[in-house]
Amino acid sequence: MRVAFGGYRAGFWWYMAAGLALLLAFAGIGLFRGSVPLDGRDVLAVLARHLLPGEHDPADPRVDAIVWSLRAPRVVVAAMVGGCLALAGAQMQGLFRNPLASPGIVGTSTGAATGAVFALTFGLAGGFLLAAPLFAVAGAILSLLIVTRIATRDGYTPVTTLLLAGVALNALLAAVNSWLIARSWEQYEAARRIAYWMMGGVTDRGWVHAGMLLPGMVIGCAIAVWFARDLDLLLEGEEVAASLGVDIERAKRAVLWSAAILTGSAVAVSGVVGFVGLVVPHLVRLLLGPVHRRLLPAAFLTGAWFVVGADLLARTVAAPQEVFLGVVTAFVGAPFFLFLLVRHEGEVAVSR
Amino acid sequence: MTAASAVTAAPRLELVGGGVERRGRWLLRGVDLVIEPATLISVVGPNGAGKSTLLRLLSGAWRLTEGRALLGGFDLAALPRRQAARRVAYVPQTVRPTFEFTVREFVTLGRYPHESRLFGTRSADRGWIDRCLDDTDLLALAERRVTTLSGGELQRVLMARCLATEAEVLLLDEPTSNLDLAHGLDLLGLARNLVDEGRSVVLVLHDLNAAARFADRVAVLDAGALVAEGPPAEVLSPDLLRRVFRVRAVPLAGSAAPVFDFEPLS
Repeated sequence: MRVAFGGYRAGFWWYMAAGLALLLAFAGIGLFRGSVPLDGRDVLAVLARHLLPGEHDPADPRVDAIVWSLRAPRVVVAAMVGGCLALAGAQMQGLFRNPLASPGIVGTSTGAATGAVFALTFGLAGGFLLAAPLFAVAGAILSLLIVTRIATRDGYTPVTTLLLAGVALNALLAAVNSWLIARSWEQYEAARRIAYWMMGGVTDRGWVHAGMLLPGMVIGCAIAVWFARDLDLLLEGEEVAASLGVDIERAKRAVLWSAAILTGSAVAVSGVVGFVGLVVPHLVRLLLGPVHRRLLPAAFLTGAWFVVGADLLARTVAAPQEVFLGVVTAFVGAPFFLFLLVRHEGEVAVSR
Repeated sequence: MTAASAVTAAPRLELVGGGVERRGRWLLRGVDLVIEPATLISVVGPNGAGKSTLLRLLSGAWRLTEGRALLGGFDLAALPRRQAARRVAYVPQTVRPTFEFTVREFVTLGRYPHESRLFGTRSADRGWIDRCLDDTDLLALAERRVTTLSGGELQRVLMARCLATEAEVLLLDEPTSNLDLAHGLDLLGLARNLVDEGRSVVLVLHDLNAAARFADRVAVLDAGALVAEGPPAEVLSPDLLRRVFRVRAVPLAGSAAPVFDFEPLS
């Protein structure tokens, strides 16, 4: 690993070009392949009708529905979710100066899950499609508010306190989630919906979900880009960052909000898709180095193709049955995480 | 440092009745200190006297609990951080970096107060970085990871990052502690040149004789208080050294600066 990655740094633009090619390839497979076999020309005709300007022959409505209403939004939502989670993970790893931090480390993804579970158990989601996603975003933001409130003293928020408060809130909210689920056990339908949602996935996600995710993604990305350089300096410690001109409390606050919005929005539409936000940024940092102006966009793109690819696997591994997306990402991500842990320990031992 | 990097006169930096309390303990209190433009001032004192704390206060990285820090007459705490960072640079004691920046990337962090948020470093910034790397003899190491450097190389990298800010007041915390004799003298010579060009430099040093030789003024801290400040010849007396450092200082003949041989108190 050290030999393969440590001495080598991939060119940023080459890396981005390769990532874009992979994303397009996976998206293409996602559009052309599925449980219903379709003729490639019909698929192309549908895509041309929707994406290219000008007059087109009316397509077969059945093919149109499958490609444009089922497969296309699924691929788009998968890419958006992956991008948001990986970007949020990269920000948290920078803020906490810890390459093993995850996007929901301050409790935001568990908070989002609590919001959604709440909406589902009390039947709010039955009446209104967007109830669960909206509650999820609210849950993420509420979690962040609680954690920062607890960790802030005299206008100063030490990241270690933030981290510990986040761990505690994560545990508490996980307990709340279990309790809410146990409560709804007799209502089979609600329990089934919760279980599906908790395992994470982009099955049956439509354009409405992509639209839901879009504002959070745009806002989160904009804040992330604006404060990317501040993260570089925060890596060197708050004192150094402050002495070089960073308004550290403002920067920390902005990065936390950005990550909470990204994580909350992603969890809102796809449930808990694990390990993307942990593994992807770490891998990208190994390849491209820690400068966030390169790291953040590269993590976003990598997360996007990774999740679109993982969703392809989820659809095809046990076809016609679908495996949950969260299961696939965890299956790929968890062994890699363990590998990093082992490697990390080795490094610590060597450096001492 | 080359003459090309000539600077406008450094601003006056002063601490008026400065004190800082952390967890119910005063780390520093009642400190009145003026750093005049183009002065090399050395801060000395036993361990725990508050030397590093003093630099943090002067840099604006820490807020004062009481008193004020003034930069060119303006309250440092009220100044936007970026604006202050363009004028005052601070180099903390050497800590091993954990993130794998290259030397060039690491030094470029010093350009933060000049960078545009959206477009980052511009070609003028990159030219300046090259000059800073050249002045600290680091061009050959520019693409090396900072995690692989020796202590002495790292110290030069920190110095280069400090120069990259173009600040007129430099605060250096024990910059020679990881350096061998020759590199240590080089660094003190560099500091002297920077002052001769118009910058002010505040150096925390443990080597009293080096402080006496290179500094224009010496500030002596003991237990969170400033006990003496002035030209080395006036401040560094055997009596004061005995009181503050608990050593017997025997003056060495044949030097213009007040240099000593040190012996433990019996």
